[in-house]
Amino acid sequence: MGRYLLIIAAVLMVMWRPAEALDGQAVVEAGFNYMRGKTSVSVVTMTIQRPGWRRVMSIKAWTRGTDQSLFRTIAPSKDQGNGTLKKGREMWMYNPKVNRVIKIPPSMMSQSWMGSDFSNNDLAKSDSLITDYDHRIVATETDGDIKVYVIESIPKPDAPVVWGMQKLKIRSDHIFLMQQFFDEDLKPVKTMLTTDLQKMGDRLFPKSWRMQNAESPNEYTVLEYQSLVFDAELPRRQISLHALKNPGRRP
Amino acid sequence: MNMHVQIGWRNIWRNPKRTAVILTAIIIGVWSMIFLSGLMRGIADQMVRNGISNLTGHLQLHPHHYRRDPSVDHRISDAERLAAVLRQNLPAGAVWSRRVRVNAVAGNARHSSGVTLVGIDPAKEAQLSFVSSAITRGRYLRSGDNRGIIVGKALLAKYETRLGRKLVLMSQDATGEISSRAFRITGVFQTELKATEKQFVFVNLTAVQKMLQIDSAISEIAVLLPSHQQADAVAGQLRQALAEHKIDVSTWQDLLPLVKATIKIYDSFIFLWFLVVFIAMGFGIVNTTLMAVFERIREFGLLKALGMRPGWIMRMVLTESLFLLMLGLLAGNLLGMLSIYALAETGIDLSAFAAGLEFVGMGRIIFPVVQIRDVVGANLVVVVLGLAVSAYPAYKAAHFTPVQALTHT
Repeated sequence: MGRYLLIIAAVLMVMWRPAEALDGQAVVEAGFNYMRGKTSVSVVTMTIQRPGWRRVMSIKAWTRGTDQSLFRTIAPSKDQGNGTLKKGREMWMYNPKVNRVIKIPPSMMSQSWMGSDFSNNDLAKSDSLITDYDHRIVATETDGDIKVYVIESIPKPDAPVVWGMQKLKIRSDHIFLMQQFFDEDLKPVKTMLTTDLQKMGDRLFPKSWRMQNAESPNEYTVLEYQSLVFDAELPRRQISLHALKNPGRRP
Repeated sequence: MNMHVQIGWRNIWRNPKRTAVILTAIIIGVWSMIFLSGLMRGIADQMVRNGISNLTGHLQLHPHHYRRDPSVDHRISDAERLAAVLRQNLPAGAVWSRRVRVNAVAGNARHSSGVTLVGIDPAKEAQLSFVSSAITRGRYLRSGDNRGIIVGKALLAKYETRLGRKLVLMSQDATGEISSRAFRITGVFQTELKATEKQFVFVNLTAVQKMLQIDSAISEIAVLLPSHQQADAVAGQLRQALAEHKIDVSTWQDLLPLVKATIKIYDSFIFLWFLVVFIAMGFGIVNTTLMAVFERIREFGLLKALGMRPGWIMRMVLTESLFLLMLGLLAGNLLGMLSIYALAETGIDLSAFAAGLEFVGMGRIIFPVVQIRDVVGANLVVVVLGLAVSAYPAYKAAHFTPVQALTHT
């Protein structure tokens, strides 16, 4: 009897260990890769809500892996052609009205991107979540019948990140549900919530992404995917300074 | 001579009320000259001292083009060779310190803005700028502590952070890439000017060098001389010695053009003030003396008739003026000095207008400073010009004839 118990315990240990030890790092990386795909082409409407005004614009985006992307405003016509190129941790902006490409200097990296609740850094250092943090699964929830990992991401000591902690909710099928940013006192600063899961391209994907300022309820930015194609054939020149400067040539 | 002094002294007290009125005018005039110039000098002095301890020092050495474009691209790589030249050429008692100074962006979760990132050699810097002595909380940097950062009190408030918290600094490194590094706030400094508190953050020299990937290169050497009068001479000497090093040598006047200009403006302002006060006072003096002279036409006629020479009469009237002026100066100087002395300890607290004052780089409390040349200047102006304007009534008095005096009723 005792022997059975021991065996059962051992079996349980073996079964239980990997599940629990399934480390946060892997979950986050898998989620990251899922959301990115090898390449992606998408059209997004971005709504910026502020106490006094609201602004809606449409953006077309091309991404390759985690470190190359090009964003181009397609509406309203006032802003048409404005572009942002990201390669590695560098960013450039293009404004067709002055026909100039500006490399975003360090001083502007923490400013907001096109007036939204996203900062240039959120874009340029999006992989910082993977490289600069230690991830720990602190709980699991369920979303419908799918398991959701609640992950606390603490910056590595000396990592050059401003946040004190990030809290992530990632479904076991790799979909990010929440990303919450905390300051060093562990007070929330801003929260990103994704909703409206839909089949987009070849995978399930949240259609709406909302970045909410924690302190004022009527300051937020919503990204709504209009179309999204993953792993499409993307010529290398499509994400380049040349492409940034020549918005007229659509692929 | 004795007689003139005696007669003059008695004459001015023949009408004590009139004398008292003109004396009051002179006293107020002189007091205002001395007190105001003391205040202005105090403001200027403070600006200079603020400026010099505000990382300026008396001399600074920079690589060529750094002052035009203070970026990491302009740096001194052979700092050792430069140090040798400095050791040879600086007078005894001079201290100097290496720095890397670049523009950077400091950010935390709540806030981010541009700052001036200064990498310092903690031990040496303590001898020549305000940082070490202005720490009010936490502690000063220790050498080897490459994660510590010292920030101003105002910056702390702006970023809603506190001691021990993290601050992420971003700047462009030697390869043109953006490099960032996290520091922990170990000390908080407080200065007279809020702008300084918000602008400067201090870290160890080696930490910045690592962050910017510039090995042991530096961007600035600050020198503090035993006296700021030596600045020009030493700068000249250094310029010669460093002729082929591609180094700019600047004195504090070059580095603080605004302060230099302000001092000049104050100089002219003091001069104008002296002039205005004197013109007002001068009319009073002429008026009083003229009245005194016209009242005594018969007396002067009599003196003339008795055989007194015009020169003597002139001398008599001028002596009277001189007494008036001297009395006024004495009391005025005394009052001026007293009021400056009274403020020397506490200063004039202008905290209520602190924001406006900061704009022009002034402190919150003004301590008047007496400059001998201002005091001597004020006294000379009053005596010399006072006598000059009294010459007209004196001349008049000297040239009444006995006949004129007789017919004067």
